[in-house]
Amino acid sequence: MNAMPSNDRINRRDFLALATKGLLALGGLLAFGGVLRFLGYAPDPAPPAEFDLGPAANYPPGSRTVIPPARAVLLNTPGGFAALSLVCPHLGCEVRPDSDGFACPCHGSRFDGAGLLLRGPADRPLRTLRVEQNAQGNLILSLN
Amino acid sequence: MKRALVSASALLLLALALAAWVESRRARPVALTPTLTGQPEYCLTCHDRASVPEISPSHPVKAFGCVVCHGGERLALDAALAHSTLRGGRNPSDLSVVEASCGGSACHSGAASDQRDHIQRVQTSVQATYAGAIAQIRYAFGAQPDLQARLGVVAIADPEITTGTGLPALDAFDPAQETSPAVQKFAQNCLNCHLSAEPRPGPQYTRFTGCAACHTPVAGTGVQLTGAGGQVNAPAQPIHRLTIAIPYSQCNACHNRGNYDLRNLQFNPRADEAGRSAERPYDRLHDYYQPIAQFTQCEYELDCVDCHTTGEAMGDGDIHSNKAEAQYIQCRTCHGTLAEPPLTRTIGDANDLALRLAFLNPVIDLQVGDAIVVTEKGEPIWNMRQRPDGAFELAGKVTGARYTVPLVANSQCKQKPDQQESRYCHECHAVQR
Repeated sequence: MNAMPSNDRINRRDFLALATKGLLALGGLLAFGGVLRFLGYAPDPAPPAEFDLGPAANYPPGSRTVIPPARAVLLNTPGGFAALSLVCPHLGCEVRPDSDGFACPCHGSRFDGAGLLLRGPADRPLRTLRVEQNAQGNLILSLN
Repeated sequence: MKRALVSASALLLLALALAAWVESRRARPVALTPTLTGQPEYCLTCHDRASVPEISPSHPVKAFGCVVCHGGERLALDAALAHSTLRGGRNPSDLSVVEASCGGSACHSGAASDQRDHIQRVQTSVQATYAGAIAQIRYAFGAQPDLQARLGVVAIADPEITTGTGLPALDAFDPAQETSPAVQKFAQNCLNCHLSAEPRPGPQYTRFTGCAACHTPVAGTGVQLTGAGGQVNAPAQPIHRLTIAIPYSQCNACHNRGNYDLRNLQFNPRADEAGRSAERPYDRLHDYYQPIAQFTQCEYELDCVDCHTTGEAMGDGDIHSNKAEAQYIQCRTCHGTLAEPPLTRTIGDANDLALRLAFLNPVIDLQVGDAIVVTEKGEPIWNMRQRPDGAFELAGKVTGARYTVPLVANSQCKQKPDQQESRYCHECHAVQR
């Protein structure tokens, strides 16, 4: 007895057509994903140049507040608010506040409480940064 | 036709899947923008900070990054490309590239008056030129009429001579130009111990070239590293560190390792090397000096850098004909003579070199106003301070150990005024082992 071909079975021609479409669809999806990934690329944002330090009242007279993300220190002096960069002008290490001012942990440069140079190898004082109060009463520190 | 289309579709899918897989395995770039350069670099993508420790407190990676010292392609994410322009391979302090790696007026090629001319001094030093050995051998075998150096391992010039024995320049020693077979053999067998030479094979000789030969400690040399037990049979490996607290074992990569036989012009390793084992570990007393040497207690308990100065080891800026012209520390530098205590100087300036060095290696809390010992050339022995009671105290630069230094004056010593060199002291004070 001979077996009769079933009408339910997919023939070779249809299988190849289906496979082609399936493979192309999958390939298209992958490629589309790649294009989306490419178009969605966002470079790392530039580091902020301005920092909102909040209300000026948060910083009492005589206070010395380190602002870690800005690598800076905010000083509330009798003459008003001032800010200094904590980046050592010698080779870029971060100076640390201490009882006498600021000290560089890398090469030993020392600065007084106002950032003036006391001892090398740095050859200039700590950089002064601009600090202003906006309309809302917040202090805005600018690194530029 | 249909079959070809299916195959092409399958290949396309495979290629895309492969690309997606490769992309998914790629490490996420880790950027670092060092304060010093302000330019992003991606070295930390592979060299995570856990596996590569900070090289020294003076060179933090946050401020320096990697590229300013090592070179390389800072933006590359492919290892071969990133490393393609490294300076000096793993060692950017090799003297052939050191100016680009470590130089700059704010770093190590600053002004001599400010004691920041490290590179210039090292390049003219006897350790770099090997001029003394070359001159002695050439003189001994008739290739030159006297002992004055004419040649160094590389050509070098010094436009500013500051000492009576300084030379204006050396030409490069070229063995092919030498007619004496002995000098040629010397060139073949004996040029292993200058700062540009690769070391001899063997853990006891392991070191980098250039600055790192001294300032980058080697772990697992088979000798006892100061303050930490060295594994006798561990593979020797320089570690990612720069220090001025240089243990004697680092100096011993070249010094005290054996002797050159001038009859055969060959190096003979020290006789006691072969007997070392885990059961018979190294110790300072036996390892420091080779068996024929005479030495005193302080010479093996202290490290070489406790007495020998920067000027002696790194040079004084002049090109000299031999080691004797550069090396001048004697016992009297610290112990004085029957007539005189050691020379001292009171630190009067916050920028004093002694304070700078004590900051880098804080084994002693030097202050302005402290009296420290100085050499006859004025170099500070900054780790030896006079106490308020008049006694002198030395702090080991590597060990941190404190020693009260005995003075010759008012002692039982019968020192003769014209016999001040250490060999005379060895006659009475040599250690027996």
